[in-house]
Amino acid sequence: MRSLARIFQVALAECAGALRSRRALVLLLLYIVSAACCMYGTISIFGRMEQELAQLLQLPDADKTGVVSTALWQSKPFQKMVRAMVSNDLVYADIQGRHPIELVYAWFVFFCAPLLVVLTTGNRVADDLKSGAVRYSIVRCTRAEWSLGKFAGLALMLVFALAASAVGAWCVAVCRLSNATSLLPAMFDWGARAWLYSLSWLGVALGISHFTRSGSRATALGIFAVVALCALPGVLWMNAKWFDCPWLQNFEILTPSSAKILLWRRSFAPLANAAFRLVALGMFFFALGVAVFRRRDA
Amino acid sequence: MTGAAISTSALVKRYGRRRALDGFTLAVPQGAVMGLVGPNGAGKTTWMMCVAGFLRPTDGTIDVLGRGPFNASVHSGRLSILPQDSALPLEANPRALLYRYGRLQGLSAEVSRASTAEVLAAMNLADRADSTIRSLSHGMRKRVMLAQCFIGSPEVVLLDEPLNGLDPAEQSRMRNFILARRGRQTIVVSSHNLNDVEILCTHVAFVENGRVVRMATVRDITSAAGRVVYTLAAAPADPSALVEALSSALPGTSFSWKGEAELACDFAASGADVAAVNAALLPVLIGKAGVVSVAAGQSLEQAYLKHDSV
Repeated sequence: MRSLARIFQVALAECAGALRSRRALVLLLLYIVSAACCMYGTISIFGRMEQELAQLLQLPDADKTGVVSTALWQSKPFQKMVRAMVSNDLVYADIQGRHPIELVYAWFVFFCAPLLVVLTTGNRVADDLKSGAVRYSIVRCTRAEWSLGKFAGLALMLVFALAASAVGAWCVAVCRLSNATSLLPAMFDWGARAWLYSLSWLGVALGISHFTRSGSRATALGIFAVVALCALPGVLWMNAKWFDCPWLQNFEILTPSSAKILLWRRSFAPLANAAFRLVALGMFFFALGVAVFRRRDA
Repeated sequence: MTGAAISTSALVKRYGRRRALDGFTLAVPQGAVMGLVGPNGAGKTTWMMCVAGFLRPTDGTIDVLGRGPFNASVHSGRLSILPQDSALPLEANPRALLYRYGRLQGLSAEVSRASTAEVLAAMNLADRADSTIRSLSHGMRKRVMLAQCFIGSPEVVLLDEPLNGLDPAEQSRMRNFILARRGRQTIVVSSHNLNDVEILCTHVAFVENGRVVRMATVRDITSAAGRVVYTLAAAPADPSALVEALSSALPGTSFSWKGEAELACDFAASGADVAAVNAALLPVLIGKAGVVSVAAGQSLEQAYLKHDSV
């Protein structure tokens, strides 16, 4: 119980520090601006496509983008193309009824989450180790409690960052599309799923941050880890094929991307499965870092 | 004072081939103010960091308050440290930071708030309690660092160069603050200012090459020198005649002039104690030159420098 209270205090300190230093503001802006830009770019492309289609079919121009693309999304050839891209019938069935714009947002948050998490959180432990600020805390709480508090504080900030990105993306969608006002709950839904996915990358980023006293080195190592872990399934698949070792592909379970596909599903069971795997993976990488930190000089 | 608040035995800390601690054995009595004195790189800071659990010793044993080596789950709130070269979070303000440290070490919100106000006032920081650490001067930041050591009155406080960077008025205030805690808290002070150590500490340990080479009470070190220094009211007209008169008053003593009106008497060979020496010499001195002050023994600085030159 006392441990939980200490973890809570460290988490609170992390959030308060982020607010005071404007780190939280930068985090929010980064998520909002990147989501808004992605949405703006995508809708612009849709708009241009619609204009050209309208000209080709000699139809009157729509006031707002979305009318033609919604029709296009529902068309059989396009659905066939999407099915081929998804290459998973269950996921395809689950996303079929969804609005294309919410899927664009979902794709964006899943795609950008690892990099955004590493860029915004990768230096947090290393910086405190370098400045020596950690010493004022670890004389009052255990190193594991301090690390868990950091994790909890940053995880909490990611909730707000993803919620803000959903709102940012939704605002752009509402301004530029004719039928997007009802999309906000769906955006929050994808934001929540992205948060689960981000937790595993937060574990990776903070785990690595325990290994070094340099914030920039921790961030660089985090980016390297993101690239390596994202490339790993492909590498394993190729090696499994070339060397005829199908068991190699089992190691894919060590990558957060392996559970990501389940986050696209609608039903509870696969979502719970994904949540469990992602949190476990995040904690695994995080625990590696904490284990090293507990044995090293601070 | 019962037992040792901190006890380290044969402590070794190795960095590659270099041994920062090389068999550091020291027991700090409960309620004592222990001064660690030694040259740069002697191992004073390393020892403190090992005791506080920041550094992992290569070998040896540590016992803090009879509960084994430092473990935050056991010692949180019972030991605090002023670490060297450790920055406070720059965006925090002293009040919020100290309150949070209090909460972290298990104080209730109310107690933590009261303790924060108390230490902020003691460190003369009440008027800057809500400024950011970034906006404080070096000396003020040092005072915040000192304040965090005394939140919740921990039983053991380790202070590494506590008065460095403070202005004279704040140094005096801090000295009084530490003196007021004598006997109530066990305090270890590492300092190069031997005058401060002499004033603040009840015990002192000379540290060299990663080990303690001498540990005693400050009184033992400063009074065991077998020397009394007399400051005379005026320089005598005939110094050698005065010395001759003194030598005949107490045979077996030797005299040396430290200035025109300052005479040191070394009496170790005479077998007398300070009281007997004064009883024999003062009447002669008062009659012939007048005495302004009498100082028994030697300063800690003199004792340390004498020890260092051996």
